[in-house]
Amino acid sequence: MSESVFGRSQVEREAALLTELTELTEHHRANSVQYDRILSSLGIEQGQRFDSLAELPWLPVRMFKTHELKSIPDDEVFKVLTSSGTTGDPSRIYLDKDAAAVQPRMLGATLREVLGGKRLPMLMVDTISIIKNRRSFSARGAGVLGMANFGRAHVYALDENDQPDVEAVKGFLEKHGNEPFLIFGFTFMVWQYLYEVAKEHKLDLSNGILIHSGGWKKLIDIAVDNGEFRRRFAQDTGLTRIHNYYGMIEQIGTVFLEGESGNSLYCPEFADVIIRNPDTWEEQPVGEPGVIEVISTLPRSYPGHVLLTEDLGVVHGIDDGDWPGKRFSVLGRLPRAEARGCSDTFSGAVAS
Amino acid sequence: MKRRFPAGPDTDVDSLLADLGREPEGGRLKVGDERVVDFLRVLARKLLAPAMARRYPELASLGFFLRRGEIAKVLRAVETPPGVLRFPRGLVFHVPPANVDTIFVYSWALSALAGNRNVVRISPRSAGAAEAVVEALNAALAEAHPVVAQTQVMVTYDRDDKITAALSAACDLRVIWGGDRAVTEVRTMPLAPHARDVTFPDRASFAAISVAGWEKATPEQRRDVAVGFYNDSYWFDQAACSSPRALFWVGDAAGAQAGREEFRGLLADVIAAKELVVEPAMAVQKRVSAYGVAADGHATSIRFDGNAVATLELTAPQDVPREWLGVGTFPLATLSSLSELVDMVQRKDQTLSAFGFSRDELEQLAHDLAGRGIDRIVPFGSALAFSEHWDGYDLLAEFSRLVTVQV
Repeated sequence: MSESVFGRSQVEREAALLTELTELTEHHRANSVQYDRILSSLGIEQGQRFDSLAELPWLPVRMFKTHELKSIPDDEVFKVLTSSGTTGDPSRIYLDKDAAAVQPRMLGATLREVLGGKRLPMLMVDTISIIKNRRSFSARGAGVLGMANFGRAHVYALDENDQPDVEAVKGFLEKHGNEPFLIFGFTFMVWQYLYEVAKEHKLDLSNGILIHSGGWKKLIDIAVDNGEFRRRFAQDTGLTRIHNYYGMIEQIGTVFLEGESGNSLYCPEFADVIIRNPDTWEEQPVGEPGVIEVISTLPRSYPGHVLLTEDLGVVHGIDDGDWPGKRFSVLGRLPRAEARGCSDTFSGAVAS
Repeated sequence: MKRRFPAGPDTDVDSLLADLGREPEGGRLKVGDERVVDFLRVLARKLLAPAMARRYPELASLGFFLRRGEIAKVLRAVETPPGVLRFPRGLVFHVPPANVDTIFVYSWALSALAGNRNVVRISPRSAGAAEAVVEALNAALAEAHPVVAQTQVMVTYDRDDKITAALSAACDLRVIWGGDRAVTEVRTMPLAPHARDVTFPDRASFAAISVAGWEKATPEQRRDVAVGFYNDSYWFDQAACSSPRALFWVGDAAGAQAGREEFRGLLADVIAAKELVVEPAMAVQKRVSAYGVAADGHATSIRFDGNAVATLELTAPQDVPREWLGVGTFPLATLSSLSELVDMVQRKDQTLSAFGFSRDELEQLAHDLAGRGIDRIVPFGSALAFSEHWDGYDLLAEFSRLVTVQV
C-alpha cells in the first residue's frame, strides 16, 4: 500500500465513494436495526439508489452519545472507543477486529503523504503520564497513543508534572535535529509548550514536521490563528512543515489533513466533506459557510460513514490546491441548543 | 448573597433571617392582607404597561393574574365556614426554576397573598423577563406599605448548600420547583419537624383534538386552535412542563388524517406569520431526538417542515416520549376515543390541552383517570396560563393553615 491516498480528482472520488457508501448504507441497514429504523422513518427504502454523495442520509454525530449504534454482533466487539466532550455522555464507538486494524492503517496511509515511508524520530508535545498513568483516559491520551505508532525514539516535551522539559527537548534535537523528525501535539499545547519554549531557547526546529489538531479556541483568545501560528513558527524556530488536521473519534482513522501551503484541509480519497446550509440542509456552494458533514468508507462496524458534525466550515475550492479534491476550513462550533423549561432549578446551578 | 428585592447591599443568611423575624410595622400580615393586595395591584400595573408587555408578553399574563379582581376571586375561593379561621403558614422558602423566567412570581405572589413572610432564591442564571420583574417589584415598592419590604425578600446566590440548608431549617414551608433532580437535591436539606415541602417535579403534557369537534369547527376556530397550539408549544421552546409533548387526534382515522394535514398547514402559516426562526443547533437537537425515537422503535415515520416543525408518527400511542425533544417536535397518534388515553396516562402527566370535546366528555375523562395523572385540562392556548390550582395543589390552601374555634 504505497499509493497515495491523495491522488483522485473530485469527480473520480465521488463516483467511487458513491458506490462504496451506497453499499455501506445497505450493510449498516442489514446489521443495525436502529439505523434501519431511522432510515425507514425518513422514507428511505432498502436498496435505494442515490445520485450523489449529498443525497446519502446523514446521522447527527451526537447520536453516538445517545444511542448504542453498531453493525456487529456483541460477541464481535473487539474495542469500544469512548470520547466525551466537556459536557454530557461520551460517544461510544464499537470496533470489531477488522475495524480496529483498518483505522490505524488508513491513518498511516494519510500521514505518509507528509511523513514519507519511514518512521521518524518523534517529539511528543505532551507528558508521558497522559498514556502511562492513564490518569484520565481522555481524547488527548488516545490521540497521543494512536499517533505514537508513526514515530520512533519518542521524547516527551513535558515532564510528569506538565512542566516544559527543556533539557529533554534539547537532547532530542542534539540527537535528531539534523534529520527529518516528527512533532505531534494538540494545537494549543504545541503553541504554549513548544513554540514559546523554542523561541525563548532559540531552538532550531527547521527539520521538523509538525502534525497538530484540537481546535483553535484557546489560541484565538490570544489572537493566534492558523496563519499567525505558521508565520511565527517559521520566523522564530525555522519550522515550516506544519500540518493541522481535523478528525473525530466517531470517524476514527479518517483525518482531513492540512496541505503544505497551509490554511486548507484536504480529504483522503476514502473520505469527503459536504457543507450544508443550516436552514435548508442542502449542500452549500463553494465559499458559503455551513455545517460540516463528514463522509468516510472506514466505519463498517458502526453506522458512522455519513455524519453531520456540530462544526461549521467552508469549502474554499475543488481540485485547485496542494492535493486534488475539496479543500476546506473549520470555522468553529455550533452553539449548544439550550432549552428554557421548568426542569432545572439546581441542576443548572451545579454547572454554573 | 445578593439582595435583589428589596434591592440593597449584599447580605448573609443570618442577618436576613434576623430581619425577617422582627415584628412587622403595622402588625403581622393576614391572609389577603390589604397592604399586600395593594402592592400586587401596583406591580400588576407596571407589568401591564404597554412597553413592558410588548417586550415580555409573558409578563402581561402575570400582570393579568395579579389584578385586583383576579386576586379577589382567589381569596373568595378560600373563604372558610364559621369557626374555621385561615392564617399564614409563617416563613416560606421558594426555590424556583432557573429557566422559566416568571413562575417564581406566581408562587411568591400567592404565598404573600396568604400573608407569609417569603424568601425567594432567584437563580444567578435568570435573565430577561426575570430581571424585568425584579425591577418592577423594586419600583412598586416606592408606593408600598413598609411591611412589604420587611417581610418579602428575593436573593440570588451561587450554589451554596449552607445557605439553602439554613433557609430550609428556618422555614415553615419550602416550595421547590425545577424538576426531579432539583427536588431530590434540595430535599437532602432537613426541614424543621413541623415544616413540609410543596414540590413541583418533572411533568409531561399533551394536547388532544377531537376529530368530530374539528370537523364541526369554523375556519376561524381552526386557525385559533393552531395559534393556541403555537403559543403553548413554542413560547418556552416547548420545554415548560405544561407545553404539549405530543398531539393526539381522537376519533375516526380518516377524519384524523384530513384534520392533521389541514392543521399542519395552519401551523405553518402561524409560524410564518410569527417569523419564528429555529437556530441550527436546535434544528440538530431535534434531529438527534427524533432519530433517537425512531431508533428505539417508537416512531414509524418522521417528517420535517423546515427547521420549525418536526412530526413523528408514533408506533403505538403508549410509547409516547415524555422527554423534551427540541422546540417544535411533535409525536402524533390517532386514538379511537378518549378512553384510550386513560390507559397510557401516568402520574407524571400534568396538562391536557383539549379542543373540540364537550365538558361532559372531558369530565368523564377526569373521572376515568381518577386523579392518577393529568391535573389540568385546558383549552388550546391556555396550557401555560398559571393558576392557583397547580399540579394538583390548591396553592393558597397549601400556603396557609387552618385554626378551628368551637364554643
